[in-house]
Amino acid sequence: MEAPKYVWEGAIPLQIHLHESQVTTLPPPPPALILAPRIGYLPLLAPLIKPYFSSTLPPGVDTIWFDCNGLPLKWYIPTGVLFDLLCPEPERPWNITVHFRGYPGNVLIPCEGEDSVKWSFINSLKEAAYIMNGNCKNVMNMSQSDQLELWHSVMNGNLEAYQRVSSKLKLATVDDEYASLCLQKSQQSVIETDLPAQAKTGRVPVRLYVLSVSKDFDDLDEIPRVDSWEKISYINRPVEIRKEDKCFTLHDALKILLPELFLDESLMNVKLGGVDLEDAVRNSNEDVTSVKVVEDQGQNVCKQPEACRISSSAKIKLIRIQGIEPKLEIPFSWVANNLLNPDYFLHVCVCVKVAQ
Amino acid sequence: MSREVLAREAINHAFKALKKRHLIEEGAHAPAYIALSRPIISQGSEWKEKAENLEMELQQCYKAQSRLSEQLVVEVAESRALKASLQEKEMAIAELEKELNQTRDECSQLKTDLEEKIRALELLMVEHQELKAQLEQMAIKAKNAEAENKMLVDRWMLQKMQDAERLNEANALYEDIIERLKASGLEKLAREQVDGIVRRSEDGAEFFAESTVPSVCSHRINAHEGGCASILFEYNSGKLISGGQDRSVKMWDTGTGSLTHNFSGCLGSVLDLAITHDNRFVIAASSSNNLFVWDVSSGRIRHTLTGHTDKVCAVDVSKVSSRHVVSAAYDRTIKVWDLQKGYCTNTIIFHSNCNALCFSTDGLTICSGHVDGNLRLWDIRTGKLLSEVAAHSLPITSISLSRNGNVVLTSGRDNVHNLFDVRSLEACGTFRATGNRVASNWSRSCISPDDNYIAAGSADGSICIWSISKADIVSTLKEHTAPVLSCTWSGLGKPLASADKNGIVCTWT
Repeated sequence: MEAPKYVWEGAIPLQIHLHESQVTTLPPPPPALILAPRIGYLPLLAPLIKPYFSSTLPPGVDTIWFDCNGLPLKWYIPTGVLFDLLCPEPERPWNITVHFRGYPGNVLIPCEGEDSVKWSFINSLKEAAYIMNGNCKNVMNMSQSDQLELWHSVMNGNLEAYQRVSSKLKLATVDDEYASLCLQKSQQSVIETDLPAQAKTGRVPVRLYVLSVSKDFDDLDEIPRVDSWEKISYINRPVEIRKEDKCFTLHDALKILLPELFLDESLMNVKLGGVDLEDAVRNSNEDVTSVKVVEDQGQNVCKQPEACRISSSAKIKLIRIQGIEPKLEIPFSWVANNLLNPDYFLHVCVCVKVAQ
Repeated sequence: MSREVLAREAINHAFKALKKRHLIEEGAHAPAYIALSRPIISQGSEWKEKAENLEMELQQCYKAQSRLSEQLVVEVAESRALKASLQEKEMAIAELEKELNQTRDECSQLKTDLEEKIRALELLMVEHQELKAQLEQMAIKAKNAEAENKMLVDRWMLQKMQDAERLNEANALYEDIIERLKASGLEKLAREQVDGIVRRSEDGAEFFAESTVPSVCSHRINAHEGGCASILFEYNSGKLISGGQDRSVKMWDTGTGSLTHNFSGCLGSVLDLAITHDNRFVIAASSSNNLFVWDVSSGRIRHTLTGHTDKVCAVDVSKVSSRHVVSAAYDRTIKVWDLQKGYCTNTIIFHSNCNALCFSTDGLTICSGHVDGNLRLWDIRTGKLLSEVAAHSLPITSISLSRNGNVVLTSGRDNVHNLFDVRSLEACGTFRATGNRVASNWSRSCISPDDNYIAAGSADGSICIWSISKADIVSTLKEHTAPVLSCTWSGLGKPLASADKNGIVCTWT
């Protein structure tokens, strides 16, 4: 199966509890068990959740919102991204609480149901189109029925329908030699025939979510719970794939996105040979991150998938895209073409330890 | 290691990671979750479906209901209309039945009528035939009768002619006899017959009325206060003129007893009255030495005759001309007045006062009765005494001429009433009665218009009536309570009027 299929079929098991303030029956209702698509959004689950709790809700108008351990969840972030970001140690099923009242307007922007989510999605699409093509004409000129079909395909997780409509958009894809290399022959030919005249872009829209932790940790479950959005910094910056670089890896992309975290690389390379202690520390860290690091400390400086650190203060602990932690050597073009969300954005979660 | 190898490895690793994730996440949990949610979802969807179905059914039902109710409304309206029309029809039928019955009745009625009529007609026709036959018979009879009639008339005419012839013969015979009679000198008879005939052709003969003896007082009139000395009837009428002490001259209708005229202007009590022959003028002799002449129609005084120096006690007017009035007053004169000229034309002086006067029929001679009891005749043109006769031993109180003008009645204070022939002045009759005393110097008596009776009043209030032919008293009328001063007989034969000293006038029929 191809990667996009995996991506589209991905779903997170949720255990949704009704907040105690909204429970009006005895005994309190059991939590709802819902499978939420990774590429979907939490408010879209409302129709599935409501039947569980409708009998117990106090009377009034419902405005649905979710929180995880007290942190109200931003509804315009895809479910998968939220999960990857807020549960470093994946918790399956993911326990979140649903509220129907008391919408925290100071934290969350208002959401009026499915339409708000749809418009947010379309907006992101326009942004992506602008980044990739330089204009968002093709999105704006999309017919109403196409828009609806696109949205419905996203809502229903229908990859074929989505690909049908999105191909009409003629959004440029990232030129990916390695994609053709890595894929099986049959798939390759299919891809070639399917995408005859695809414009090629060098800019990839990326949304980067950086979770900063102050303490160093060995296990992922040691990462303290996120209780405020201030701990998460959001970077919306496209990554320009340098043409001259034959293979542009994820590492390179990250360097562009978070240059401050990669300041001491040259320094680091110099130090590599000498300081074994740090290596040992690094090695142990690498093990924990479950990124298979092939150490080739000799030859390719640019290909050293080393754990980066800013002197001794900050270092990336975790990189997650679509629930997986890809190796840093992975060609970015492959990542860009296969692991992107339906809104043509690449959502990347990064956990960074920052010394305070 | 080469970049591609690294890259490929990385990609493969990524794939494996994705697979693993799939297995852990949705692969592990999906079946359970789907199984758990199916009931609810299915429930929900089931209910939804049910609800939708029910809604659709309901909608359909509503639609059907609305259609049905519309239909129902239409049907109800139709049925109502039909009911109404049905009712109308029923009513119409009832009416028609009634009419039918009525017409049937009428028809039967008409039938019976018709039969009756037919029968009646037949009867009539039969009768008609019979009548026709009768008519024919009658016609024949009539014809026969006519013929007979004609024949009879002819015969009658014949008889009549024969009769006429006989009458003629008789007349001729009669005439013969008459002539013979005449010739035989039954002059008296002839004269009588002739007189009668002559009288019949006299002027005024039409006014001749048979007088009856009055017996009943028909009216009692209070004519004058103080006494009524003179009364006089109009010529040939029932109107009575009376003059009294109260200086008034009144005219009465003796039929009703009511006053018709009242002539005023007399300055003294009325002592005598006279009326012209045409009833136009009334002359009164007044104690004021004057005579007054009234126009009867206007009631105004026409003339006042002055000249006497004492009371005028008698007056008379010519029966012929109405022009000449003669009056006697107690100044021992008799004056003749001409009404047209308006003055006295002749004055006769005589030593004895004249109490009563009377014109003769031809108006040329006057008879006067004097205090010395003599009756004298004068010629008014010359004023010469023509003749005189001693009528009474005491003063004459009244002189009245008979209708035919031949005899004159005189009454005197010797209670004797005499009739004198005017031409010869011979006494034709004398009348007296016990108890009959002439009341005053001027008591008037009268002769009935048929010259058969004499009426005279008495001092005891009774009136004696003598029949000239019988020469005896025939009746005494008692009514008055005072002495009767004057009597006068109407030219019509009745009534007889009398006046007494109390002024009461009685009429007798």
